[in-house]
Amino acid sequence: MSASTATASASLSDCPRPGRLRRFSQLRAYTQTLSHSSSGGHRSRNSLSSRVPWLSPSSSGPESPTLQVGNSTAPGPESDQPALSRYTSAPTASSHGLGVDTQTSSAESSRSTPPNEPTQRSTNVMARLRSASAVQGRPPRTIALARTATQEAPTSLPEPTPAATDAPESTGTIPTDAVQVTAVSANKKATIRFFPYQDTFQSSRPSLPFVPIARTLPSESSVIRVGRYSERDGIPIPNPTEPSDAPVGFKSKVVSRKHCEFIYSNGQWHIKDVGSSSGTFLNHMRLSQPNMVSRLYSIKDGDIVQLGIDFRGGEEMIFRCVRIRIECNRSWQQQPNEFNKNTESLIKNLGKGDGADYSGCRECSICLGSVLRPYQCLFMAACAHVWHYKCISRLLHQDYPMFQCPNCRAFTDLSAEVDDSNDVVENEEAKGPTEATSTNDSAEVPAGTQPAQATTTTSVEGQQPTPLEPHSEEPDFVTDVENLHLQDDNDEASGSGIDMEDGHSSDFPAPNASNDDLARSATISIPGFQPTQPLNVPAARQPHLRADTPGRSETSDDNPLTPRNDSGPLAFDGRAGMR
Amino acid sequence: MGSQKRIAKELSELVESPPDGITVELADEANLYKWKVFMEGPEGSPYQDGKFLVNLTLPTEYPFKPPTVSFGTKIYHPNVTNDDKGSMCLGMLRADEWKPSSKIAAVLQFARQLLLEPMPDDAIEGRIAEQYKNDRKRYDEIAREWTRKWAVSE
Repeated sequence: MSASTATASASLSDCPRPGRLRRFSQLRAYTQTLSHSSSGGHRSRNSLSSRVPWLSPSSSGPESPTLQVGNSTAPGPESDQPALSRYTSAPTASSHGLGVDTQTSSAESSRSTPPNEPTQRSTNVMARLRSASAVQGRPPRTIALARTATQEAPTSLPEPTPAATDAPESTGTIPTDAVQVTAVSANKKATIRFFPYQDTFQSSRPSLPFVPIARTLPSESSVIRVGRYSERDGIPIPNPTEPSDAPVGFKSKVVSRKHCEFIYSNGQWHIKDVGSSSGTFLNHMRLSQPNMVSRLYSIKDGDIVQLGIDFRGGEEMIFRCVRIRIECNRSWQQQPNEFNKNTESLIKNLGKGDGADYSGCRECSICLGSVLRPYQCLFMAACAHVWHYKCISRLLHQDYPMFQCPNCRAFTDLSAEVDDSNDVVENEEAKGPTEATSTNDSAEVPAGTQPAQATTTTSVEGQQPTPLEPHSEEPDFVTDVENLHLQDDNDEASGSGIDMEDGHSSDFPAPNASNDDLARSATISIPGFQPTQPLNVPAARQPHLRADTPGRSETSDDNPLTPRNDSGPLAFDGRAGMR
Repeated sequence: MGSQKRIAKELSELVESPPDGITVELADEANLYKWKVFMEGPEGSPYQDGKFLVNLTLPTEYPFKPPTVSFGTKIYHPNVTNDDKGSMCLGMLRADEWKPSSKIAAVLQFARQLLLEPMPDDAIEGRIAEQYKNDRKRYDEIAREWTRKWAVSE
C-alpha cells in the first residue's frame, strides 16, 4: 500500500501523466486525503471493528488471533462459540449457511456448526435452523450484550433514534420487547412463484418459455399440481385477488399430464414427482424412475426444477423441457420494512431540492456511486434496490421481461401488471403495533435467534432516520431489515470511506460499512461452502437461508393478499407475477 | 467506460485501506484492468511468511463479468493450477455465481482465506487435494517448501 500511495501522491505533485491517469491518481489522492481528514468521523467504525475483528478483516487489533480461530472452519463447535458470541447476528447467519450446507454436502464436511445437525438431517430445514439458532443464538446474545453494555454504557441511548450517529452505541439498549417480537403464525398462507429458467451457462437449448406463475395456497393442505396443459381442460385462470391452488399447466409434450406436485408443510415447500414419464429434476437430480412416484423433496428459494427432457433435440417448442426457477420464502422482502421504507422516503425526497434529507443514500452497486440524488435516472426493482438506470440498463434488457436483482437475486417480472392497490399508507402504520403485539405471545418464538438478530440490527440499523415509523413496530422490521442488508451486502461500501463522497451521508457510512463487513465476513469466511452447491450462490444463499429461519419465514406470512402489504409503493406483494 | 470509474474507485479504496495481508497496485499504470496484488501467506498456514503475487484481470464488462485471478508465484495448493498460469478456482468468480455487487476486495479476501483453508472438494489439482485430505503432514511440508522456494524473497 505505502508504495502505491506514495506513487499516487508523487504523481500528483509533479503530474507527468496524461489526462486520464492524472485524474485517476488525483482521485486516489483525493480519497486518501478525504479518508485522512475524516478519520475523526471514522471513529465509530474503527471502534466497532476493533471490537469485532471478524467484521473487519483489515483490523489488526489485539483480537486478531481470535479472528483466526473463529474464522477457520477446522476447529470444532466449541472453539467457534466464543467467536460467535462476539459477532452477533452475521455469524449466526453464516452458521445457518453452514448448517444447511453440511446437510446437502457430504458428511465429511464437519464444519464449525451445530452439534445437532447430524441427527436432523432428514427433517425439514426450518426445524433444524430453529434449533441450530436456538443453540447458537443464546450464548452469543448474552455475551454480546454484556460486552457492549460494559463498553458503551456511558454513551448508550435509551432508544435508537434518528439522531444517533454512532453505530455501536445503541447496541446495549435494545428494548427487551424487541427480543420477543417475531411475527409467527401458523395459519399464514404460503406463496410460491415459478419463473422460467434458462441455463445460459451450459449452452443447452432454451427451455420452454412461459410467463411467471405465482400461487398462494388457500390452505395448508392444498397441493399445486403441475402437468401438461390440455386444451380440453384449459388453464383455469385463478382470481388474482384470492389464494389459489389452481393446477399449473405447461404446453409441452415432455410434461406428463400428472407430472409433479408442490406441497407445503411445516413451513417448508416440497416437491414430489407423481409418476411422470420423463422425469422431474431438482437441481439436475432426477427424483424418481419413469412412472414412479418419488418421495417428498424439500425445495428452497433459487432451486431449479426441470420437467422432462428435450425430445427430438427440442427443436420444436412443444418438445422442450420446462425449467423452473423456484421462488419461495421471499415474502419478508415484500413487506414494508426498514430498508424499503427508507428507500421510499428517499424517493419522496427526490423532488424537494436542497432541503431534502438524503441521509439514507445508498450507492449504486454497479458503479459504486451514490444513487439517490436528484436529476438522475434511476431504476428501482421490486426488492427496493436502486441503481442508476444507465448502470442497470444492461441487465434490464438482457432477459426482459425477467429481471434479476444483481444485489439479492430476487426476480422481478417487468411486464407484470401495475399494482395499484397500494394507496393506504396510514393503514400499515396503524397495523404495525398490532402486528407486533399479536405476535408477541406467539409460542414459537425461538428466543435464541431473535435477540441476536435484533441486537445487531439495532446496532447497525437502528440509528437510521425513520421519521415515518412508530417505534413500536420497529423491532419487527428491524429483523427483516437486517436480512435485507445481509443480502444487500456487497453493494455497500467496503468500509474505506467511499460513502464520504456525498457530504450529507457523513453519519451514515458507519452503519453501511459495518453492514458490508458483516456481509462480507459471512460470505468470505466460510470457504468450504460453495462447491457443494453449484446452483446456488453463496451470497444469494445467505439471504435465502436466513429466510428459512423460523422467526422470519413465519414473520413473512406468505400471504400476498393481506392488507398489511399495502403500505406504499415499496411494499411488494407477490401479485406482480400473477396472471 | 462506466466500469473505469468503478474500478478506479475500488482500486483507490484498496490502496487506501488494504485488507489484511494484501497490497494492491496496477501492473501497469497505463492499464486499469490489470492489477498486481501481493498477498502474504496467512499466519498458521504453510504459506506463512511467503509473499505471493496474484494477477487480477478485469474484463471490460466488469462488473457484469467476474475478474480472473491467477497466481504469479508458484504455490502448492489444491485450488491453484500447478502450471505456469497458476489459475485459481474461486466459486464466487464463476460466471453464474458472480454478482455485479461483489467487490474486488471481497474476492481478494476470499482468495486469501483460501490459502488458510483450501477447499479440497472443489479442487483443481486433484492430486494435491487428495494429499491434503489424506496426508496433511506431507502436504504442509511440501507447501512450506514451495513457499520457501518461490515466495520468500530473501
